Amino acid sequence: MSTERIPSASPSVSRLIDELNKLPGVGPKSAQRLAYYVIRLPAEEAHSLVEAIMAVKEKIIFCSVCQNMTDTDPCPICDDSRRDRSQICVVEEPLDVLALERTHCHRGLYHVLHGVISPMNGIGPEDLRMKELLPRLEDGLVQEVIIATNPTLEGEATAMYIQRQIANLKVKVTHLARGLPVGGDLEYADELTLSRAFRSRSEL
Amino acid sequence: MVKPRVYRSQALVLKSAPMGEAGLLVTLYTRDAGKLKAVVRGARRPTSKMVGHLEPLNMVEMSLARSRPGGIDTITQIQILESFSSLKADLDAVSRGIYLAELVDGFGAEGSPNQELYSLLVETLQFLNGSSDADSTLRYFELHLLKCSGFMPQLYRCVECREELSPGKHLFSPDVGGTLCLKCTPPGARVMRLSVQTLKVLRFIDRASLEELSMLRINAGLAVEIKNLLSVALKYWLDREIHSKTFIEHLEHSQKAGV
Ligand SMILES: [Zn+2]
Ligand SMILES: [Zn+2]
Repeated sequence: MSTERIPSASPSVSRLIDELNKLPGVGPKSAQRLAYYVIRLPAEEAHSLVEAIMAVKEKIIFCSVCQNMTDTDPCPICDDSRRDRSQICVVEEPLDVLALERTHCHRGLYHVLHGVISPMNGIGPEDLRMKELLPRLEDGLVQEVIIATNPTLEGEATAMYIQRQIANLKVKVTHLARGLPVGGDLEYADELTLSRAFRSRSEL
Repeated sequence: MVKPRVYRSQALVLKSAPMGEAGLLVTLYTRDAGKLKAVVRGARRPTSKMVGHLEPLNMVEMSLARSRPGGIDTITQIQILESFSSLKADLDAVSRGIYLAELVDGFGAEGSPNQELYSLLVETLQFLNGSSDADSTLRYFELHLLKCSGFMPQLYRCVECREELSPGKHLFSPDVGGTLCLKCTPPGARVMRLSVQTLKVLRFIDRASLEELSMLRINAGLAVEIKNLLSVALKYWLDREIHSKTFIEHLEHSQKAGV
């Protein structure tokens, strides 16, 4: 990968490029393109962008029930009395909640782990929002935990770990069907594939 | 002589990480070229068929396009030879597989072929894929990894006075490269006590095959001594923590606690 950059006389432009380059999926070339887009923005639009970023930082919290990102606690899904409280779907990231909500397959609640067990990177269960899941299963209301981690090596290992943790509780544990491409990401799966995988989930 | 632009290689996938908009940077241990980092463009797009093939702990056959010097080669085609599926369906086994991959990533060097190391990795994964005696398999891997990387601890002579070790108590020090007799302790070196049984088992691991080793019963205390000794030696040469060991230990503890 080349990291050569368009020579810039201005340290403030370089700084903006460096900051944008830190964003996921933004390489040096994209960072330059975005920076020059920002430079040409009218001042009020640039302000609005900055405000939106700051608002997110100030207002977004984690739902004390499902750990999803929200600006109210509990989040709108946990607070919705029409949701089925007997099912909890466990996902890696908040974006996976959005992907599953689009399929309208799941009427229950969620639990967001904020990552997966990644032994090589030193990320263990204690680094995820894993311990918050067990107390949710103790009230006897929950009958099924649907594990919807990504079909990757680490996603599967995380699923097996959760299954082991709750094996002696009287809760059914199911796993999304293997229709999802191995190594793929829930977030990128099309709605049809994702809803098919959800409906044909199987017991672990 | 100009190297061909496209070449084929057999390899084991050690790890992968997102790169750029939709690409994947894969670390492989190849049979013929040692450790290799290669990129797969567009691998994370839902239309890509390659991503599943690039899962860690897959043994693959692939075509690569050579980059300019100093750049990263690109994987253009890939096929799975073995995916070690029973290993991956078991949490304890997969955590051990990941541990092997991390060690090979740490000890393997780019541009430095080591077919012995490749065979050791494949053979050990095959064994873990079908066997339950995992602990001694890991010890076998650790000692032979040191051996084929050129860090084999001396187990037959005192590293200081070069005299053959007589039966009895000895010392072990990774800093000086192996066993010491009791009268030779170099100042400043960290030393560990080495019982005569531990030394015997280490020598056995050195000469035995995985099958032979799996038939040997090792008592728990001795197993811990061997594990600690090899762990100190690995850490000494690697000069950093081995992260995936923590997860294996976490699983062992929670099993003991009955969770
Ligand atoms: Zn919530
Ligand atoms: Zn000596």
